[in-house]
Amino acid sequence: MSIASLLFVFFQGLALLALAPLVTGMIRRVKALLQNRRGAPVCQPYWTFATLMRKEMTIPEHSSWVYRFVPFAVLGTTLALALVTPSIGFGAWGPSISNIFLFVAIAALGSVFLVFGGMDTGSTFGNMGSNREMTLAALAEPAFFLVLATLAFFAGSASLDGILAFFARTPWHAGTLVVAPTLLALLLVTLAENARYPVDNPATHLELTMVHEAMILEYSGPYLAMLEYASALRLALFGALFMNLLLPFGLATPAAGALALLVGLVLLAVKLALFALLVGLIESLVVKMRFYRMQEYFTLTFFIAFAGAVIVLAHIL
Amino acid sequence: MPREAFAKQVQTLVKDDAPLALLYATDERTAKRGFVVRAALQAADGFLTLESELPENDPSYPSVTRLVMAAHWFERLIRDQFGIEPVGHPDLRRLVHHENIPADTHPLRKDFTWNTKLPVANEPYPMHAVEGKGIYEIPVGPIHAGIIEPGHFRFNVRGERILSLEGKLFFKHKGVEKLVEGKTPKDAFPFVERISGDMVVGHTLAFAEAVERATGTAVSARTKALRVLWNELERLTAHIFDMGNIAGNGTGFSFMAAQGFRLVEELRRMHESLVGHRFLRGAVVLGGAHDIGDEASDTIRTVLARIERELQTILDIAFTNDGLMERFETTGVLSEAAARAYGARGLAARASNIAADARLDLPYAGYAEHAPELVTEKAGDVAARFRVRARESAESIRLIRAVLDTLPEGDTLAVLGSGKGSAYGWNESWRGMVLDWLALDANGRIDRLVITDPSFTNWPLFGELGPGNIVPDFPLCNKSLNLSYSGTDL
Repeated sequence: MSIASLLFVFFQGLALLALAPLVTGMIRRVKALLQNRRGAPVCQPYWTFATLMRKEMTIPEHSSWVYRFVPFAVLGTTLALALVTPSIGFGAWGPSISNIFLFVAIAALGSVFLVFGGMDTGSTFGNMGSNREMTLAALAEPAFFLVLATLAFFAGSASLDGILAFFARTPWHAGTLVVAPTLLALLLVTLAENARYPVDNPATHLELTMVHEAMILEYSGPYLAMLEYASALRLALFGALFMNLLLPFGLATPAAGALALLVGLVLLAVKLALFALLVGLIESLVVKMRFYRMQEYFTLTFFIAFAGAVIVLAHIL
Repeated sequence: MPREAFAKQVQTLVKDDAPLALLYATDERTAKRGFVVRAALQAADGFLTLESELPENDPSYPSVTRLVMAAHWFERLIRDQFGIEPVGHPDLRRLVHHENIPADTHPLRKDFTWNTKLPVANEPYPMHAVEGKGIYEIPVGPIHAGIIEPGHFRFNVRGERILSLEGKLFFKHKGVEKLVEGKTPKDAFPFVERISGDMVVGHTLAFAEAVERATGTAVSARTKALRVLWNELERLTAHIFDMGNIAGNGTGFSFMAAQGFRLVEELRRMHESLVGHRFLRGAVVLGGAHDIGDEASDTIRTVLARIERELQTILDIAFTNDGLMERFETTGVLSEAAARAYGARGLAARASNIAADARLDLPYAGYAEHAPELVTEKAGDVAARFRVRARESAESIRLIRAVLDTLPEGDTLAVLGSGKGSAYGWNESWRGMVLDWLALDANGRIDRLVITDPSFTNWPLFGELGPGNIVPDFPLCNKSLNLSYSGTDL
């Protein structure tokens, strides 16, 4: 790996890290505006994180080292994902690092640690949330794998970098009906993997209905900030991946120089803003589904992914 | 009536279509009548009272609950308040006394002074539990994440499915019934006004009617019409709030909450401009009601026209949203049989196909002239309760306009008569019927005031409509009834 590639990867990771709270803030703002409310400034999540970092932590008496380890594991895995996700551009990693299976595995690792964190305190709500999260994860995983595998087949590369490189070289593929079902499935998986509507409600105060929020209910102060930041980052990187596949324009490469990098950064910000608009719109129009309807949501997602896979295979063969 | 025949007689009358509305007790030992239990049954032309004197040294009687289920919480309440034993009651646990109240504390006995300092006790307060493989318990509250009152709920679940659900309420004891004893109705009025923050007219109107009936006071036609106006404004405001809360916060369709609460805020500001209080304190007074002039009348018409139009738009969006309706339908079903057995009141009963509305059944205030259309739904689920609210809101708007159009001239404050004795007072508040029983002593002071908020009769319904649902749907069921913790716990 060259120095240029290394710098490129760091720049890319830092960009996502910096933009992530903005995405969350923008989604909230869009939702507020669509409800005729003014809403908080889009920068509010930054101030919230800063406030949480300065707050005292309350550690549950009956928790073990797992509880204290979880924020690091969750934020760590998400950071790893942010570094391998081609957000500003591609070409920095060898094919083995941004491998799709590795990507899904790291994402799952973060989820599993979150589940441990929810269970470790022994609180009812934490266990309830963990229980639900595992059910949802098991339902979401097949569709997620299928979507990435389809894209890999289409692009002829099993790495995210390779897939993006393919789309950037042949951008006319992005808007076609061939990949449309796959991208739709990816959007549905993105909503589920990030605890958004119609699977989970990130804004609720009702403990009995929570999934993701229930697991982090016992966290406070800097630990909570880490977990919230991880959530924001995870949403931003999924958003970047989705938008780059949908609009594969302006992607930089390590060799392209500073100007291309800057263009890539600006375009990333624009793409993430569009993504925030999309998610905000979905969350304003859609009602959260009943929990026992989740298998229907995921069955639908899987079949869309499956249809996408069939179309892509037919197209290639 | 001899105590042996009391329960049987209640059952006979209930079977004869006079549902049990209230069961209460009095301490009449100074009059050498021992303790007296009374049952109020709702007949076609008023409340029929059955009473039975119980000896001072053995205050017990065969339980009514064995025969009429609607008596079950009333008998537990009376046992806590007076130490009267309903023999054969199937569930004789404490109700309003928590663990910290010592045994044999009966605050509504006349020899218990209101400021008695009680030692902290640790009496058992068992709650239902289900045992078996894979079953676990979820305790929720009494402190909640939202800005709501305290109440503890115990779920026994298997997976996400609720097997049993029981509430532990009564964290909000204010001693209203005790504190008003010995006070004049006028001095007691502020206590009644503050029983439940969102049901000011609901309670004050029932109390005022009871006082006026007991003292033989006649109020003017204008007062009667104005009371309809204030009661319906309170109903409209509460129904819009609930529709926003059920659809918005219950399901996560935040649009409904934002819009509903905006309309509610407009109404509350109007209330403040009209009577000087956002929650309508002062709208109903003893012998009268807050008067309005032409200007106020125009304000109401203007605000109402806007609210009606916008509410219609919002409801159209709600009713055509399949995802939202899907969350409502089949959630929290209360069967008609259960609603009847538990003695459910108000919109909870009407959404389960029970035609009960005190405004029509026993017209009071100006409801003889301004009769609302009866609103019932058959399904008994959250959707039915939502629809009842939507239709009743439209009906309230119609009634308010009718009152403004035909408001009779006259004064709006009558001088209270000097009558003594006892009387019932009732009001179909937005939650359901408030039923008060007032007894005045020889000096015109309150000897006993029994107050029942519809929340008290409707809380046990959760034991029926909760089980079978999944845990994440419980907040929706809860919001669809929206009962008052404070109104339950006097």
